[in-house]
Amino acid sequence: MTAAPKKTVLIVLRHSPYGSGLAKAALDAALASAAFDQAVDLLFIGDGVLQLQPDQDSTSLGMKNMGRQLASLPLYDIDHVYVDAQAAARYNMDLSKAPLHTRQLDDHEIRQLMVGYDHLLGF
Amino acid sequence: MILHTLNASPSSIAFMDCVNIIAKDDALVLMGDGVYAALADTDASKALQDTDARLYVMAADALAAGVTNLAVAVSRIDMDGLVALTETFPRQQAWY
Repeated sequence: MTAAPKKTVLIVLRHSPYGSGLAKAALDAALASAAFDQAVDLLFIGDGVLQLQPDQDSTSLGMKNMGRQLASLPLYDIDHVYVDAQAAARYNMDLSKAPLHTRQLDDHEIRQLMVGYDHLLGF
Repeated sequence: MILHTLNASPSSIAFMDCVNIIAKDDALVLMGDGVYAALADTDASKALQDTDARLYVMAADALAAGVTNLAVAVSRIDMDGLVALTETFPRQQAWY
């Protein structure tokens, strides 16, 4: 029996890290996909870019540090991370200090990226 | 005199509604996702500073979000500070 061809998945993150449970859910989906050896990439757009803010310290909220969890993703072979450049600029973010190495894309490039995947998972 | 609290990001309609209403004698406390409006050199923090209202951010929420580069007009407060503010304002408006 031959294995079915791998489907490519892009996880699209659109929400801030602590305002809702969506960022955590996206991370769980990414880790679950990786655990089952699925090819998964990440795209942060709009307020989702705020998950990449450096120096997060959520101890006072009693929540897990999202930035630190994102930083661990390369250990699970999640290496392709894309960012909405316009949103990052709007929040005056220095992505060189982000917890993950990212590639910045403009709106047109984001569209091009998204149509290149078999599945999109939005959070 | 109104004490405003904002718990929504600068891309939200709540943020825009808040900016349109807030005036000079008011104070605004940024909390939750509202703390991103305190980031220095952004359109959001400039819009807030242009209102001439007193601006505060909940320190714990800003710390969690990694919002360390605050606009100059924004001061950090803790829960006691928020309670003290509520005692000096006759009314309060929550934006979320």
